[in-house]
Amino acid sequence: MSAVWRASRAAVRRRRLQTFVIGLVVLLSTASIVVALALLDASSAPFDRAFAERRGAHVVATYDAAAVTDAQLAGHRPDVTAIAGPFRQATVDTSRDGNVPRLQGRPLTVVGRADPGGPVDTVDIWHGRWVTGPGEVVLNEAPPAAGYQARFRPEDDRVTLADGTTFTVVGRGYSISRTADAWVAPDRIAALRPTTVQMLYRFADAGTTSEVDGHVAALRTGLPPDALVATQSHLVVKETIAAGPGAYVPFLVVFGVLGLIVAVLIVGNVVSGAVVSGYRHIGVLKAMGFTPRQVVAVYLAMVSVPAVVGCVLGTVLGDLGARPLLRSAFLGLGFGAEVGVAPWIDVAALVGAPAVVLLAALVPALRAYRLSAAEAISAGSAPRPGRALRVQRALGGIRLPRAVSLGLGLPFARPARTALTMAAVVLGVVTVTFATGMSETVRRYSDLTDLKDTPIAVRPLRPDGGQPVTQRSVPEVEQLLRSVPGTTRVAGGLDLEVSIVGDREPATVYFVRGDVPAMGFADQIVTGRWLRAPDEVVAPSTVLHDHGLAVGDRATVRFGARERSVTVVGEIMSTAPGWPRMVAGWDTFERLAPNYRILPHEMYYALAVAPGTDTGRYLAAIRTADPGLDVWDNGGSNSYTTAVVALSTVLTLLLGLVAALGVFNTVVLNTRDRRRDLGMLKSIGMTPRQVVVMMVTSMAALGVVGGLLGVPLGMLAHRVVVPITADAANLSLAKALLQVWQPGGLALLAGAGLAITVLGALLPARSAARLTIAEVLHNE
Amino acid sequence: MTTDATVVLLDGVRKEYGDTTALDGVSLSIRAGEAVAVMGPSGCGKSTLLNMIAGLDRPTAGTVVVQGEDLGRKNETGLALFRRHRIGMIFQFFNLLDDLPALDNVALAAQLTGSKAGPARQRALELLDELGIADRRNAYPAALSGGERQRVAVARALMNRPALLLADEPTGALDSRAGEQVMDLLLDLNQIGQTLLIVTHDERLATRCASRVVELADGRIARERTLEKA
Repeated sequence: MSAVWRASRAAVRRRRLQTFVIGLVVLLSTASIVVALALLDASSAPFDRAFAERRGAHVVATYDAAAVTDAQLAGHRPDVTAIAGPFRQATVDTSRDGNVPRLQGRPLTVVGRADPGGPVDTVDIWHGRWVTGPGEVVLNEAPPAAGYQARFRPEDDRVTLADGTTFTVVGRGYSISRTADAWVAPDRIAALRPTTVQMLYRFADAGTTSEVDGHVAALRTGLPPDALVATQSHLVVKETIAAGPGAYVPFLVVFGVLGLIVAVLIVGNVVSGAVVSGYRHIGVLKAMGFTPRQVVAVYLAMVSVPAVVGCVLGTVLGDLGARPLLRSAFLGLGFGAEVGVAPWIDVAALVGAPAVVLLAALVPALRAYRLSAAEAISAGSAPRPGRALRVQRALGGIRLPRAVSLGLGLPFARPARTALTMAAVVLGVVTVTFATGMSETVRRYSDLTDLKDTPIAVRPLRPDGGQPVTQRSVPEVEQLLRSVPGTTRVAGGLDLEVSIVGDREPATVYFVRGDVPAMGFADQIVTGRWLRAPDEVVAPSTVLHDHGLAVGDRATVRFGARERSVTVVGEIMSTAPGWPRMVAGWDTFERLAPNYRILPHEMYYALAVAPGTDTGRYLAAIRTADPGLDVWDNGGSNSYTTAVVALSTVLTLLLGLVAALGVFNTVVLNTRDRRRDLGMLKSIGMTPRQVVVMMVTSMAALGVVGGLLGVPLGMLAHRVVVPITADAANLSLAKALLQVWQPGGLALLAGAGLAITVLGALLPARSAARLTIAEVLHNE
Repeated sequence: MTTDATVVLLDGVRKEYGDTTALDGVSLSIRAGEAVAVMGPSGCGKSTLLNMIAGLDRPTAGTVVVQGEDLGRKNETGLALFRRHRIGMIFQFFNLLDDLPALDNVALAAQLTGSKAGPARQRALELLDELGIADRRNAYPAALSGGERQRVAVARALMNRPALLLADEPTGALDSRAGEQVMDLLLDLNQIGQTLLIVTHDERLATRCASRVVELADGRIARERTLEKA
């Protein structure tokens, strides 16, 4: 056995606790890295994976049916790897009456297609079946998020066109390439008078805009001019999708990046601390005749042993933990269960984590390499005179128990070591603060977008199809709902299409009544404020942009012959449930449309119920009270949100634990360094309790300062990173999502620094109190 | 036999470290005002004996009574309080706190008992003055010579007016001149009534400072001799 290996093995055995700490830190850090990398990988990959699996179209081309023949299109295949079509395509308008609101009076792209499969653009039929006969249509809709079930009412299964033609919805499918709004059978499209033909293409190389543009240019060649009337790139579709259900992805990415940074920093901190604390031993080895290279090898081997063990176990742990978390988190993005931990992540963790450890050890080891034996032995053994010593002296005169004042002075004795410890504490507190805030933001975001405060939805049934119809007026329905045991709040809403004077585009205004502000709606304010007075509106930025409005602007809205001048007082989140629209108070509705006769089924009610209410019984009670009311549960467990919050929590805990271990390691090293002093103090009568008080005080002081520094830094990081992340995802974030801090919570977070250091110090302090004085003093 | 004047009484003290026997049935008594030197070759058990008397270590068997207090009956806190009030210790390598100046190193012993900083520093200064290094009170240990450091250590040991001053190779790390000064110091202390136990292998120190020499060999008392002072 070589001398280097023998010395390394002896060092590992002698420093069992430190070896264990290094191994544990590397284990948890590696697990964090695996989860973080899997997160990063999964965040960027779901669309691409689903796109590949469903053979998405790189280019959706629309040709003028009068300018080209099907034979021409079928034979025109410049550089394509797969082609589908030609499919006849028509653009039709839906009726303003007889359709569900989101299909009222809007253009619909309908494609005649024989089946949902084919070489390009597999349509995922997630509900119902494909079209087979006349009068049937399949709508293109994304599947519901994980944890939600699609719920269709009779009116949802019918589409009426502007010319009165009615189709029955026989299925719902999802085209990741968004090739149509609806599909009908090929032999039925002719009735819709198609004027264009759709072709779907896949290419070998279409990863960039310029590549896609090149293929589009090639598609034009060889065909009559103006034959190609429109194209749609998969890159544009990807961007659009990423701004929709993928809104959580950037938050998860931030967690991933944070996990990586903290894990690397803490590993570096712990390992370099281990080497620095071993300088004396390094000096002894050199004095024994070890060459500088051998000394470096001893130390690298010493930290490599626990690092490799920790890394392997951490990879397995991270792998096992990441899979279920990611799978459930990304299921809600409509990308299926393609998400997992890619093999390259395991390889990267297995290679990267030991590499980080070796790199962290190499820097101080190389310093030891250059030191002479005498220098190494005395390195750091005598403090430099200066401000630190003056602080110590000043503390000796203050009216505190001497054990406390000595403890307060200890951090000043080794400024570099103190800085290292402080960095670990601050980093830990920043991490915990940031991650806690981020986790809370994600949770609130989910709650707001899901309107979790209003889990029960009620809509009066339509007066057709032989269903019972409520005879109650709007106030009567509201009163009835309030009277049902368990109801705590009731909000009502009515969509009304109005026109804005000077704007050709009509606008939908959602007029709200009841307990709306207290039910989470007011929390959706991004800028400005919620409604306070009549003739005020709030709207998402997309709506404001479409109508050339901004917060503070006034606009005149018209309904029938009446006009009201309204003020935009706030911008709300664009991800609020339902499609983006203006929101105004009921009093504004009464002033704008005093003679409007509200049909019961035009109203939508959201209810909040008392905690512990049996939802099933509650729904039954409403149905019994008025069979004309359709009532359903919008709430329930959203597994996606749960998974995202769980992921955030797991990463927060992992990072907090890693940071705490970093502190623990530093305290162990400090105690080791102070063995002689502790022995002397005990020899002159310092009691074990005083030893513990002194050591814990020395670290608690750092914990308090670390907490006071770390909390505002963590809050600042949250305040800076979250909006940047949201901007990157084209999200407007409500103020409430950034104001996640409560005084009590902040005090707890600040206390986290204290807790980390006290807990980290307690064990080594107690061990110091039990030191055998004789052994310590006589071994020096 | 114990009398009121007996400061230290060891009876059949045995100490084992694994398979090694450091002390093997040592019985010894030291009277108040006596200066006893314990001598012997390396590994004979000198330092172990001192540790037992100081309450720094516990015997495997036998009893150690110092100033009427049976150390075997004390827990760690009790031993710490015992050392604080009854024992002063001087080490070969001084064992001063590097980050405190000389004055605060000395005052520390009193402050641990709860004394306020002002009175503690005042007494520390008086001691440093008596030991001739008051002008070095603000110097840190790293800036002191070996002799000066040991004087500071002596001052610290005397801070709480101990019944027994234990010195473990007090001149072992000093040059001959500084060693002479420390010997003079210990002699002076004994002459004013301070009970001394010195562990050393320096015959000159023993004969100059002690009135009795106990020689250990293989953990046992091999010989005791009383020295006549001139």
